[in-house]
Amino acid sequence: MDLIPSSDQKALVDATIDWCRDNLPLEQARSRPIGLWSELDAMGWLAMTTQDVGFDHASEVLVFAELGKSLAPVSMLSTAVAARWTGDRRKTALFFVDGNKMRALDVDQSERALGLFESRAVIAALPGGIEATPGLDLSAPLAVIDPALPFEPIDNPQAALHLQLLGAAFAVGCAEAARDMAAEYALVREQFGRPIGWFQALKHLCADMAVRCAMARSQLFYAACALDAGDSGVAFHLAAAKRLADQAALENGRGNIQVHGAVGITDAATPHLCLKRAHMLGFLAPPAMDILLGEAA
Amino acid sequence: MNIVSSPEEKRFRAECRDWLAANIPSERRPLDATDAVAFDKAWQRCLFDAGWAGINWPIAYGGRGLSLIEQVIWLEEYARAGAPWIGANFVGINHGGPTLILNASDEQKAYHLPRILKGEAIWCQGFSEPDAGSDLAGIRTSARIDGDMLVINGSKIWTSFAHVADWQELILRTEAGSRRHAGLSWVICDMNTPGIEVHPIRKMSGQFEFAQIFYDDVRIPLANAVGGIGNGWKVAMSTLNFERGTGFIADQVKLGLEVEALVSKARASGAIRDECIADQLAQSRAEVAALRAMTYRNVSEVARNGQPGAEASVIRLFTAELGQRLDRLGVLLAGQDILDFRYGDDTLVSDYLRGFAGTIAGGSSQIQRDIIGERILNLPKSR
Ligand SMILES: Cc1cc2nc3c(=O)[nH]c(=O)nc-3n(C[C@H](O)[C@H](O)[C@H](O)COP(=O)(O)OP(=O)(O)OC[C@H]3O[C@@H](n4cnc5c(N)ncnc54)[C@H](O)[C@@H]3O)c2cc1C
Repeated sequence: MDLIPSSDQKALVDATIDWCRDNLPLEQARSRPIGLWSELDAMGWLAMTTQDVGFDHASEVLVFAELGKSLAPVSMLSTAVAARWTGDRRKTALFFVDGNKMRALDVDQSERALGLFESRAVIAALPGGIEATPGLDLSAPLAVIDPALPFEPIDNPQAALHLQLLGAAFAVGCAEAARDMAAEYALVREQFGRPIGWFQALKHLCADMAVRCAMARSQLFYAACALDAGDSGVAFHLAAAKRLADQAALENGRGNIQVHGAVGITDAATPHLCLKRAHMLGFLAPPAMDILLGEAA
Repeated sequence: MNIVSSPEEKRFRAECRDWLAANIPSERRPLDATDAVAFDKAWQRCLFDAGWAGINWPIAYGGRGLSLIEQVIWLEEYARAGAPWIGANFVGINHGGPTLILNASDEQKAYHLPRILKGEAIWCQGFSEPDAGSDLAGIRTSARIDGDMLVINGSKIWTSFAHVADWQELILRTEAGSRRHAGLSWVICDMNTPGIEVHPIRKMSGQFEFAQIFYDDVRIPLANAVGGIGNGWKVAMSTLNFERGTGFIADQVKLGLEVEALVSKARASGAIRDECIADQLAQSRAEVAALRAMTYRNVSEVARNGQPGAEASVIRLFTAELGQRLDRLGVLLAGQDILDFRYGDDTLVSDYLRGFAGTIAGGSSQIQRDIIGERILNLPKSR
């Protein structure tokens, strides 16, 4: 057993961090340059676990957590899952089913969308001309489609688990982005002649963010390895990873705003982008109670 | 100690209820900022004409001269009836006016108080600066005395209603080289004076409800200082006491209605069968009841001693955090619908996003906890 990334995996993470810093700054999450998608595709991240590329899920979550930290386009998740389980590498939007409706995110340049229905991954063909505008999550243009479009299941039940895993990786990244933003601000913002991070109330608030991240990231690694190993407890471990990652993203999103004071509630500052992303990710493959409370893994 | 209303209180409550039932505007408060202010002013005028403005303000300045208890009864009935949010009159009615009543000269009071009560003058609060938020004593915006004028230079930020305000309660450093609490003055600033520039700031909920203000050689009469030049800190503390102590009574009352709305919603959707949701609703109902009791204690304290007790910080903290818990519960019950929120919408999502200010504005929850620890529990001071 070894839950520390190998040197190859570390190199992969470093390369991802460098690329994200230069090409995917969080500050631009609400309007990414046209042409970004082909660059993301060229980096190979959208097909990492396909048969011909052959990375394992453990390596994949390392990369996706970093992408999540930049609030990368959410259709990266659906595209990566679709590429792995259908062999089709085209951009695939993400959708959530809600009663008779569906909400499709990031539909631009997509002819199809992937979502979950009754714990199965499903694919819907998207007609042309769907209008999407920014919703709560300003990084993912949203289209409400009522009634829902027809969809077809993907044969392999692993596809749904894969989506939950990548969703958890994005949520961990989102939680870490909020943690880092908060810690950075607590260091530079001064009140009463000291950095506000000097005050225990704020230091502890930031420390709690770090604890949530550490827990969520550890469970994320464990779940990814369980998926790679075909472990019998994989469904539980994934559900636990997603639950903790979602909580970390949401709580850290809120804490980060508090640390920023009035700056934190402005549109121009970035903390709200993390909070709003966290709310959106909460609807992506939410962990099922019966799996979390089922037989102990 | 008793909870039985006196016959006079009962009569007063019935009077409030009857008037509100017959007079509440049927249209909603407009979303557009300019229309909203016109609406707020008209409604305030209507309240004044009927004798409901300034219930506990002195009769000499247009008030009713009743106690804070009547004021609370009014606010309870006001919220229950679904009457409009006070809006742009917030600062003038809740802390600008009360600060003047306590500290201003007769002339200042005679000029400003009736205008506030009639909804003719909108006020804003110029306390916070880019580098002085929680640490108010760190302000740098200054005024130099030039004959019988003050010449102001600097910047204030997060000023709510700045873009629609006529007047501002402005705290300035009037003594060059002074530090911290010394050398400050609380002045009445006419927002139409040349040299004032207002730059609206957008919130993460989409609205432009506050602004940064720049002052470039702004000249206002020295006679506009309240409580005397150099006494600004003392006057500002009385403003904050009103803001924190009694300014949020309306919000406290409103929380009760919010809980009831959540309970009905959870009943209608069946979500109340979820034990975790039922538990949170039950807890919230209990907390709202306690908050009301705490508010009554605070009001009784004012009735007896003329000012709110240290418990005001407890109420302020509890109100803000309870409000946020309720907003979160509302968001939870709304499910995926929250994703449809767009800038410009006025929904539970905009309430939730704006609600983040509750633990920041008017003294953050960290600062309130410091005050509770130090002033109520006598723990060592950390600053
Ligand atoms: C919606 C809204 C409306 C407002 N309207 C007005 C207005 O009309 N007029 C006006 O003058 N101001 C207004 N404010 C400003 C408000 O008073 C300040 O935001 C508040 O005082 C906090 O200051 P800050 O935002 O600079 O945060 P900071 O003081 O920089 O605080 C940042 C973080 O550090 C924490 N912190 C700071 N000092 C300490 C400490 N000693 N111990 C522990 N933690 C600490 C804070 O709790 C916060 O979490 C408004 C703010 C908001 C959000």
